[in-house]
Amino acid sequence: MNPSDYGVTGLTDPGLDLRSADETQVWYRRQWRTIGNTLGFGQSLARRYDTASSVSIAGENQVGLSAFASAFRNGDPQPESEVQASVLTAVIARGREGGLWRTVDDVATLPSGACYAAEDGSRRAFFPDTAPGYFGEGWAGPPPRAESTCGWDTPLVLHLGTFPWVYSGGLEGVGPGLRWPLAPARLGLSVVASLLEPETNLRQDARQVAAIFRTFNAHTLAMIQRLPVVAGPGTWSTSSTRLQVGQMFLRDGEVHVHQSSLHVAGFQGPRGRFSALAYNYCMARFAAFFAVRAATIRALPSLPPHLQQLALASPDPVLRHYSTQSLGR
Amino acid sequence: MWRLLSIVGVVGVAVGGMLLGRRANASSTAGTTDGDVDLGPLPTADDVPPESAELINLERNWGETPLDLRPLFALMETVSGIVGSARVFAIIAYRESRFESAAHNGNAQNEQDERDSSKNAYYNNVDRNPPLKYGTEAAAFGSGGLFGALAPYFLWTGVPERSKQAPLLNARPEILFQPRAAAFGAVVYMQRILANYRVDDIADIKVGWANPSLLGKGRGGATYNDVRARFLADAKTLGIDLADPSIPKKLSAAAWPGVPAVFDQLVGSLSPEVS
Repeated sequence: MNPSDYGVTGLTDPGLDLRSADETQVWYRRQWRTIGNTLGFGQSLARRYDTASSVSIAGENQVGLSAFASAFRNGDPQPESEVQASVLTAVIARGREGGLWRTVDDVATLPSGACYAAEDGSRRAFFPDTAPGYFGEGWAGPPPRAESTCGWDTPLVLHLGTFPWVYSGGLEGVGPGLRWPLAPARLGLSVVASLLEPETNLRQDARQVAAIFRTFNAHTLAMIQRLPVVAGPGTWSTSSTRLQVGQMFLRDGEVHVHQSSLHVAGFQGPRGRFSALAYNYCMARFAAFFAVRAATIRALPSLPPHLQQLALASPDPVLRHYSTQSLGR
Repeated sequence: MWRLLSIVGVVGVAVGGMLLGRRANASSTAGTTDGDVDLGPLPTADDVPPESAELINLERNWGETPLDLRPLFALMETVSGIVGSARVFAIIAYRESRFESAAHNGNAQNEQDERDSSKNAYYNNVDRNPPLKYGTEAAAFGSGGLFGALAPYFLWTGVPERSKQAPLLNARPEILFQPRAAAFGAVVYMQRILANYRVDDIADIKVGWANPSLLGKGRGGATYNDVRARFLADAKTLGIDLADPSIPKKLSAAAWPGVPAVFDQLVGSLSPEVS
């Protein structure tokens, strides 16, 4: 399987072989280091890796989530925290049927109608993110089936596959999900982690991920392509690009910024500003998703029967095709 | 910020007219050059000594300080021996540059005041300091970098301790865009404020940053109070709690290791034509 089977091009293959325990651990730790360094828990993660000797993917994900929770401090619990957490729990449970990367829910069916009680009345627990953005062309409806006490007139749309950049139009340097209190933020990151696990990855409709990627790529590619490409270490390139302080460039498919903070660098794109950090992170999430998908298919013969059945019975014809091939049926 | 040299580094020089550094213009970064010198890359968490990493937690009480700049600020604290200074440097950088390394005040048409400041800084002090190889350029440069340094004062960093051996005398002003060089200048500057002025608390450091005379005759005046209020507001906006137990109520430069050691650890060696 190749991402191009889903019309996805331009992703760097992060390489994963689930048939090798050592390589698997190295790969997952590399993923988590990237996540940790981007989201601010790299130091906690490194401390855990000094002592952790996980032997499973679930274990690696648990270490990552624990490091996140220990480093995460958003002050006192906010009034919206409880509602956000219960809404996310419901949204994630529904999303597990195949649409976890992007969830679209009628708020009337969610706990408290996705509203929380604030001092000045009932408020929305999430941002109504339904305008065209970097992840899609917008979601006008359907409107809630019951009147919302806090003014929802659209569905709740969340892009949990790229948590904390959960809103299509909000790709600033700090992902909106990082401003949530710990309980909902941890749930958000747990989705990112679960999509790295073979079972949840197989359940996720890759066509949804591919469609989101294509939109993201279509609105960012022109700006990315304008950047100079600098060869990374370990290449034979003898050319050197003279970079100015603050200048962005591409190396190994990632945006870097010369002698400056990647966290403040960004682009003025057709759908608003998007940060270089968010760009790299989202691209890494897309790449990791397809890497786990491909590696799972390759390793399918050695995976438990229920995973094999899951793949063979998938509504996704690409997954069915390659799973059949992998299992020699 | 770089008025301190005019008082403690250069004998008897009057303070320049501009009291408060304007926030560097983040939109004016394009077209800047770094003078053909490329120092080491930004430090990472791995560059912060393990013993310091225990003290300077890179994940706690930084607010929205960019993650990839925290190791630089932590290294500045470690190298200078000024315990608690890392977050203070972050707050200052937020005010002076909004964390843009290549922030530059003085390159735009409407930034004549910044060019005037660097011009005054240069021509009022040139006779009393070791010569700058690129003095004319520094005079016309304005200010910039992470900490909003005025170019001439920046290039004279270390003169009080090292005189003609100060490390940046032969450097082009654009070197202040390089975060490690900017960090060197800022660390020396903070040390000199702490060592030479009455600094009652952390907010007083920022007052000295704006203009050391405010820590003397100007203490308690409107500008003094404004700077303090703005600094404390910046800390709050950024999300840094200055009352955190990891930050002493008063910072001290008693453990200052000296300009050469600080330069060596933050910047390293410069090419012969620069050094």
